[in-house]
Amino acid sequence: MKLNLTIQPRFRLNFSPLVWVLLTLMGIAFIVAMMRYTFGIGAISDLSYSYPWGFWISFDLFTGVVISSGGFLMAGSVYILGIKEFQPLLRPSVLTASLGYLMVAIALLVDLGQPLRIWYMMIHWNHTSVLLEIGICVMTYLTVLAIEFAPVVLERFPKLHQIAHLIHKYIMPFVILGVVLSTLHQSSLGSLLLIQPTKLHPLWWTPILPIMFFVSAISVGLAMIILESSLSSRYFQRGLETRLLEKLAKALPIVLGIYALLKFGELAVAGDLGYLFTSGTMSILFWAEILIGVVTPIVWFSIKKNRTSPNALLTGAIIVLLGMILNRFNVSWFAVKHPDPLFYMPTFMSNVDYFPTLPEVSVSIGIFAAGILAFGLLAKYFPVFEDEHHAA
Amino acid sequence: MTEIKHHAYLFDATRCIDCRACMVACSVENNIAMDKTRIWVAGVGIKGTYPDLQRGTMVYHCMHCEHPDCMSACPVGAYTKADDGPVTYNPDLCIGCRYCMNACPFGVPHFDYDKGIIDGAFIDKCTFCPQRIYNGQEPACVQTCPTDALEYGDRDELIAKAHERIAAHPDRYIDHVYGEFENGGTSYLIISHIPFSELGLPNLPETPVNEVSEKVMEMTIPFALGWGAVLSGVAAGVGLYNKKQEEKAAVAEKAEAVK
Repeated sequence: MKLNLTIQPRFRLNFSPLVWVLLTLMGIAFIVAMMRYTFGIGAISDLSYSYPWGFWISFDLFTGVVISSGGFLMAGSVYILGIKEFQPLLRPSVLTASLGYLMVAIALLVDLGQPLRIWYMMIHWNHTSVLLEIGICVMTYLTVLAIEFAPVVLERFPKLHQIAHLIHKYIMPFVILGVVLSTLHQSSLGSLLLIQPTKLHPLWWTPILPIMFFVSAISVGLAMIILESSLSSRYFQRGLETRLLEKLAKALPIVLGIYALLKFGELAVAGDLGYLFTSGTMSILFWAEILIGVVTPIVWFSIKKNRTSPNALLTGAIIVLLGMILNRFNVSWFAVKHPDPLFYMPTFMSNVDYFPTLPEVSVSIGIFAAGILAFGLLAKYFPVFEDEHHAA
Repeated sequence: MTEIKHHAYLFDATRCIDCRACMVACSVENNIAMDKTRIWVAGVGIKGTYPDLQRGTMVYHCMHCEHPDCMSACPVGAYTKADDGPVTYNPDLCIGCRYCMNACPFGVPHFDYDKGIIDGAFIDKCTFCPQRIYNGQEPACVQTCPTDALEYGDRDELIAKAHERIAAHPDRYIDHVYGEFENGGTSYLIISHIPFSELGLPNLPETPVNEVSEKVMEMTIPFALGWGAVLSGVAAGVGLYNKKQEEKAAVAEKAEAVK
C-alpha cells in the first residue's frame, strides 16, 4: 500500500486582479479610519470650523443616498403599480439600494464625532431637525430593504423556503413603507440645506429644494438601474434586458423635463434668473450641472436609436449620473459659502479653502470598493439575477 | 444688581482696544486652552485713507439667538434655549454630526477635530457662564473687559441703552443695533462705528434662518401619512383591476373551450 503524502490544497486564494484591487482599497480605507479614530478627524481630513462638512457628506451621504434610489422605484413599479414585467430588474435594484445605504451608514460612522452614539437618533428626538428625519428614515428603510431582499438569500436554503414564501405573501405593506420612507428621505436631503439660506448660493437655495431632490432622485434611480444592469450583464456574461431598459430610458426625458421646468420656473418666480450669468464660477457650475445632467440626456434619450443600443444606454445613464452627482456636490459643498473668515480663530482650524485630502478620499473609495465586492459576491452566490421562476 | 429677566451682552466696537483680556478670562474661567476659547477677537485692521483712518475690532462669541438655528438643526436635541436667554449645549447627547456648525449663520459652534473616539470629539461654544450669571456675577469676559466694550444686563435694557448711546453720539455710531432683529433677535447685541459687514457679521433677515426648514418638518408626518394612504389605494386598485382582468381572461378561455 502506498501512502499519498502530497498535501491537498484545501483552501486556496484564487482572486481575480479586480478583487485584489478592491481588497487593497478597502485595506487602505480601514487603516485611515483607524487613524481617524485614534487621532481625530483633523488628522486625516481638511475639515475645519469653516467647513464642517466636506467630501464625505457630498460623496458618501448625498451621492450615496441618491444612487440608491433605484430600489424603491423598482419595488414601487412591480408591487404597487403592478408592472410585473420589471420583475427581472427588481432584485438587483433592491440589492444595489441595500448596499448603497449600508455604505452610507458605514461612512457616517467615520464622519460622526461620536460614532458609538449613532443610535441616539432612535431615542432622543428633536422634532425640528431634518437630519433626525433622514436618520430615522434611513435606519428604518435599511430594515425594509433587508426584508425585501431576504427571500433571495432564503431561497438558497431549501429548509427556509417557507419563510421566503411568507415574506412574499406579506410584502405589500413593506413595499409601501419603503416607498414612503424613500420619498421622505430623498427629499429631506434637500431640506437639510434649507437652513442655510444665507450660505447656499441663490441658484440652488429654494424652498422647493425637497421637491427638486425627489425629482432628481427618480432620474438618478432610472439611470442607476440602466448602469447596473449593463455592467452586470457584461461582468456576469448574462443577457441584457434591453427591452425593459428602453422603457426606463423613455421615462428619463420626461422626468428630467419636469426637473428643468421646476428649476427654471422657481428661479424665474424668485427673480434669481440674473444669477445665471453673473455669478462667475457659480454660474459655470450651474450650467455644467444642467447641461450634463438634464439637457444632454433629454436629447440623448429622445433619439430612439440610443434607447435600443446597449452601449448608448450605458453612455446616457453615465451622463445623467455625472450631471446629477455634480448637482449634489454643488448643493452640499461647492455652492456653500460659510461666514466671513474674520469670524474664525486666526490660529486654529480656520482654513477657509477646503480641499479634501487623499486619506479623506481614500476612506470613501474603500467603502465604495467594499460595496462593489459585496454586490459581486452576493450576485455570484445568491439568485439575484434569476428570479423569473420565483415570481410572486 | 437688579434682577435680570433676559440675559444679554452688548458689545460696543468703538470701545474695544483689542487687548484680548476677554479671551484669557474665558480660558481661565472655563479651563480651556487659549487656542480653543469660546470667545475670540478679530482685528479688522485699519480702514480708510489718511487722515480719515478707522480701526476696527470685533469680539465674537455665541450670539445666543432667540430662535437658535443650532437647536433647530440638532437631531438629538443637544441644544437648549433657556427662557432667560442662554443657549446651551449638552455634550452627553451630542453624536458629533456637525450639522449645528452648518446651520449656524454665524459659524459659532466649533468642533474637536484633534480628538479621537477615546477622548471624544465634541462641539464647544459659549455657555453664557451659567455658574456666574446665576450667582449674581457677570460673565467672565464682561467682568474682565477694561474699557466696558463688553457689557452685560437685561436684553431690553441693553437695547434701550444702545439706542441712547447712538442718539447721544450720532457722529460716532452707525444707527443700528445689530442683533435687535437679525435672525429673529439675538442676545449678543453689537453697536459699531464701521459697517457691520466689515466686522464680519453676516447680513441676515429678521426671520430666523430655520424658518423654512421648520415649516417643512411640520408638514412631514401629515405628508407621510397621506402619501402612504395614496400608495395603498393605488396598490389596492391595481391589484383589483389585475384580478378582474385575469378572471375575464379565464372566463373567455372557458368559453373558448366550450366552443
